Amino acid sequence: MSTESVAGALKKARNGVGVAGSGRSPSSGKRNRAMSHTWTFLLFAIPSLLLLVLLNLYPVIYAGWQSLRNGDLIDAGAFVGFTNYVDVVQQPGFWHAAVFTLVFTVVGVFGSWAAGLGLGLLLRTKIPAGGLWKVLLLLPWVVPTVVSATSWNWLVATPQSPLPELAKALGFGNVLFLADPLLAQITVCVFKVWISFPFMMMMMSSALASVDTTVYEASKVDGAGTWQTFRQITLPMISRTTYVSWILMTIFCVNDFPTIFLLTGGGPVNATQSLVVLAYQTVFQNYQVGPGVAIAFLMTIVLVIISVLLYRQIRKVNIE
Amino acid sequence: MASESTGAAFTRRGFLGLAGGVAATTLLAACSGGSGGSGGGGSSKPLKFWNMPWGNTEFNKLDKKITLAYKPKSGLPSATYQEIQWANFTQTFSSAVASNTGPAVSSGGGTQAFQFAHQGKIAYADSLLDSWKSNGIYDDFLEGLLETMKTDDGYAAVPYNLDVRCSWYNKTLLSQAGVDVPTSWDEYKQVCAALKKNGVYGFGLGSGAGNFTGSHILTAFMINNGGGLFNKKKEPDCVTSENEEAMEYVLELVKNGYSDPAAATYTSANVQSQWKAKKFGYGWDGAGLAASVGGDVATDMVVGDPLTSPSGKKGGIYFPNNIMMYKNTPSQKGSEAFLTYYYKNMSKLWTQKTGIGLPPLKSIADTSVLKADPVTVKILKDWNPIYGTWAAPGGKGLFYNIANTVDGTQPMINFAQSILGGKTDAKTALTTLQNAIEGLMK
Repeated sequence: MSTESVAGALKKARNGVGVAGSGRSPSSGKRNRAMSHTWTFLLFAIPSLLLLVLLNLYPVIYAGWQSLRNGDLIDAGAFVGFTNYVDVVQQPGFWHAAVFTLVFTVVGVFGSWAAGLGLGLLLRTKIPAGGLWKVLLLLPWVVPTVVSATSWNWLVATPQSPLPELAKALGFGNVLFLADPLLAQITVCVFKVWISFPFMMMMMSSALASVDTTVYEASKVDGAGTWQTFRQITLPMISRTTYVSWILMTIFCVNDFPTIFLLTGGGPVNATQSLVVLAYQTVFQNYQVGPGVAIAFLMTIVLVIISVLLYRQIRKVNIE
Repeated sequence: MASESTGAAFTRRGFLGLAGGVAATTLLAACSGGSGGSGGGGSSKPLKFWNMPWGNTEFNKLDKKITLAYKPKSGLPSATYQEIQWANFTQTFSSAVASNTGPAVSSGGGTQAFQFAHQGKIAYADSLLDSWKSNGIYDDFLEGLLETMKTDDGYAAVPYNLDVRCSWYNKTLLSQAGVDVPTSWDEYKQVCAALKKNGVYGFGLGSGAGNFTGSHILTAFMINNGGGLFNKKKEPDCVTSENEEAMEYVLELVKNGYSDPAAATYTSANVQSQWKAKKFGYGWDGAGLAASVGGDVATDMVVGDPLTSPSGKKGGIYFPNNIMMYKNTPSQKGSEAFLTYYYKNMSKLWTQKTGIGLPPLKSIADTSVLKADPVTVKILKDWNPIYGTWAAPGGKGLFYNIANTVDGTQPMINFAQSILGGKTDAKTALTTLQNAIEGLMK
């Protein structure tokens, strides 16, 4: 068979046509049976689809409907079109919260990734009691956020707390980790990295474990240094997992309510107010349901765009 | 032939039918609107009483016992009891009331009744209170307390227990500083200065995550000076000379270093730990502060005297928690009969020290158990007569916009944090607050 005829045969095969020719079309009985199977599968799927619609789609549609009205927690109120969306984006508080959400997300994603990857690499080396370290390092992720937030509050809240005392001893004076707006933002971001790095460590450890060791051996033979190996081999080989973990962590960070709300409540004076905290406070503290849900929807749109962009990146990696 | 249950008998069509039925039932259940309200007739359906954890772990146990011991008259419904946690209670009540699956009678947030009244969900308590004029309960309420529940359309609820704000001091720390208990704003400033020399804060309070005390205390200082947040027309009126003077005074306390620099972000637990660490010598909080602080320090903690402001006035703020009746009840007469029973029998909640706030009835305050409690006696004697509500200075009766704009809202928290941060001036902070409240009223 010539190259051309092989290619043609493959094309035909892809199109569902036999290599030997078009042949006879399937009998009508077979076709009917196939159709019947398709309908059966569809009918089997209907209950699940219905439940999916009820549990997921219905609340989303209802929330969308609420965002177009001026109601409260009990009464849906009058239809106001996109007024809530327009009002929300005209408020400086919204953009302040958006900027902080961006900072919080960027620091949360890349901070936890860097720490997770570093520890993942470290744990691959032969360190004593490696299993124990792995378990201990998972604790920030495993412990409920309420407990972690209480612990961090104890660490930083008052001038007599351990970290302010340490800062004072080191000559930094009276450091107000939560009361100073900038320091509160930094503290919240560091808290997020601390809570999230074990997840990244798990993801990166599993990705690192899947890299074929012969690749490293070959690079060693070729004379690659540690940095070159890391940059040219490790990072590309784990890039798919890295992108997936970035997408997940982006979603976790943007939607992260407890980390911020329990530690600072969004304060002082809204300094640590992210979009999700703003949405909550608008609905449940200020009782403005329409604008609050509008904020949540705007957040979701941005999140979907970011996720799509990162997914495209994954597809690119797959193709390459 | 007898039917046999076999795998084959469970046909594909049967399975699909069953699955479809389940889905349809779920859909119908999700979309059903509940039973709706009913009028004043009798009913065999029990009425639902929802109460909050107002005290320690013993509170709801005893409260449930009292509720379930209710024996209704013939034709009236009995009562069921449900404890509702504070976590997400707004959502719990809102969704239940909106779907007509809520209680017939409940307590809840201090301004919840006024929100639900605005939405037409509350059964006003006027006829109940009229009936209490003949059995003595009406006259048993503390002076001015019923007035706080009165709206333009009627009494939205019945006072249940009092959440108050008052001053506290550590008598040992004041003694070490060589100062007496202050009775005026000037004296208070001197006390703060003396405490500062010993490394102790005299303006102890917090306004951090979940802690609304800071905004309460700042409002209390405004009321103390003859000001407040709402005028007689029930409109927000924050930028007044009385309020400006009060906030300038507070800012002076902050800028002089009499307030903990981290106070703006202190949770209730942080505040209590500062009292425990003897870093707070004088401060502002609720009636249960000493009990929450506990330990040796608690025995040194004493409720202070109300301060006289430069305007010559005394004042403070309290939050009368209340019990409300809903239109969605199996029987309105039943709701009223149950509440009459409950108010006649609820004194045990205080006499058995379940940790509930101050009592609304004089007969309970006069019991030997409460008379033996110096905190209760001091607050009811010296503070209660001077208390105002969120509605001050325009009035005492609470109303919808209070719930909607100042009670635990973000503008109030921001206001408190900006004042306690000390990097603002009174007029700017009050103007920002005024604009924010007006924004929420739109």
